[in-house]
Amino acid sequence: MQNWIEFERNTRPSDPIERGPGDDGDSGGPSRPKVERPDTRDLLKRMRRVDPNQARRYRQRTGE
Amino acid sequence: MALLLPLPFAPHLRGFMERLFGLETEYGITIDGAEKIDVVEESMELIRCYQQGEFVPLWDYQLENPRKDERGFEVKNLLNDLDEKVHLQQDRKRKIPFKELKSDLIIFNGARFYNDHTHPEFSTGECLSLFELVAQDKAGERIVDICAQRRTESLKVGTVKMYKNNTDFEGHSYGCHENYLMDRSVPFERIVDGLLPFFATRQIFAGAGKVGVEREDKAPLYQLSQRAEFFEVIASVDTMHKRPMVNTRDEPHADPEKYRRLHVIVGDANMSEYITALKVGTTVLVADLIEANALPQYKLKDSISAMKNVARDQTYQWLVEQEGGRLVSAVEIQDAYLEKARAEFAGRDKETDWVLGAWEDVLGKLAQNPMDLVGTCDWVTKKWLVDSFCEAENLSWENPDDVFWMQSQDLEYHNVDREAGLYYLLESQGQMVRVVGDDEIAAAMSEPPTGTRAYFRGRCLEKFGSHVASINWDRIVLKENNKDHAIDMKRLVDSECVRHYNQALDNSGTLAEFLDALQAIDASQS
Repeated sequence: MQNWIEFERNTRPSDPIERGPGDDGDSGGPSRPKVERPDTRDLLKRMRRVDPNQARRYRQRTGE
Repeated sequence: MALLLPLPFAPHLRGFMERLFGLETEYGITIDGAEKIDVVEESMELIRCYQQGEFVPLWDYQLENPRKDERGFEVKNLLNDLDEKVHLQQDRKRKIPFKELKSDLIIFNGARFYNDHTHPEFSTGECLSLFELVAQDKAGERIVDICAQRRTESLKVGTVKMYKNNTDFEGHSYGCHENYLMDRSVPFERIVDGLLPFFATRQIFAGAGKVGVEREDKAPLYQLSQRAEFFEVIASVDTMHKRPMVNTRDEPHADPEKYRRLHVIVGDANMSEYITALKVGTTVLVADLIEANALPQYKLKDSISAMKNVARDQTYQWLVEQEGGRLVSAVEIQDAYLEKARAEFAGRDKETDWVLGAWEDVLGKLAQNPMDLVGTCDWVTKKWLVDSFCEAENLSWENPDDVFWMQSQDLEYHNVDREAGLYYLLESQGQMVRVVGDDEIAAAMSEPPTGTRAYFRGRCLEKFGSHVASINWDRIVLKENNKDHAIDMKRLVDSECVRHYNQALDNSGTLAEFLDALQAIDASQS
């Protein structure tokens, strides 16, 4: 019989949640996360580390 | 997450949409740093990283027949493109037996995790709740990511990278399929008529976005959808070549006299939790409208061209041509579906009301300024990332090398490694709208959705796993004292029936008690 692996339950602190239905029965649409848009410098720094040629090398087969 | 069924179980009181649905996601796989990769065997190896010890194939393939068409016939073969025909010839020379290669696993959360023809695929168990579905879908990402880490540890060279996307930018697409249980008595023509205008335009909020065009003219531009350009016919049973907007595969996994399974293959894989919920939620409402025969009256002149044109329209007016020549915007069509759904179903349950509210809000923003949906819609968020990067690095759409770098950013948005992927960087900064918590996702990695036969499947395996001889979506065979007991789960799409079966499973201490309890239920219902 197969042995099943226990995964770690959580790995990160909770992120802010914008939940729709539920606790208060509110049925409104999405709202923006209640945080200021951060400086994009960190984001751009991360994007510069992405290998410019990774898409060129990324080859897959057609899926079903 | 509450798991055990409260009694009496009543989905509408819990705020669920009253339809079974699920998602199947094929993941892209590569090994960074490796000179060469065999995606078939690597997909198999990745799946094997889920478990410890010897692999025992349990999946029951006898119940599968993807060649059967809802229109009442069966095709001899499914179509493949030229590339794939060559690959398949090479595959036939492999020494690995079919079941070993497929490596089908069934997880305690009721999902199927396996090697679907060169791509690791995670198929969620059947859900009744949109938000449970999102948690199960995200649980699939986490499982794939953990398996990638384990596979990397076992390699001498390279890092396994997994992408929840739908393309390699070079003409090879793989799917994120949606499944919705529907009433068999609804005429198939009405289903097609109801779905075409909706599917041609749903991408304005559900598209995952893509840098470039892969087929035909290979234009350097940003598209709303990863998959739109891969569709060529209105309806067919195929999924790999000459793909249809409406897939006619006839595998209901339920009583075929009463049900059909709407197998949707036109959609993109979404990273956004919010859009996963909205994509499935709106499609449930359209299925409801089809069954109620309350559809808005739109008939497009050429639905396939319309879908491709919407994906490529750089003006974001998204105009499509109706029969008779009148142009109508994608937002207007979606609005018409929304208004019909609101008139028919508002106030029915909390999730329906959430979908109606979210649909209206998103359409309003798309009509005014789509970029207001950064952090909500995948295609808008990715466009914002790519545009920001192009501006910072002075990249040009006219320079092929620059476009490759943009495609690399596109790919990285879908990286499921939460320490590396661009989507997850935004999420960690609180920039993405979320609808489930990390605790719910963690729980969904091993716990099945409530109130469906996924619970029965997952818990049955957990409780009586050593007796399971084979398993499929709609049948489990248990072996006791060399005797097989086949449990037909086709009826377990009925909420009352599945409640009794799940209750019997929870209350039984031994396999004998369990089988006796099921026999008693069947006798009382016959």
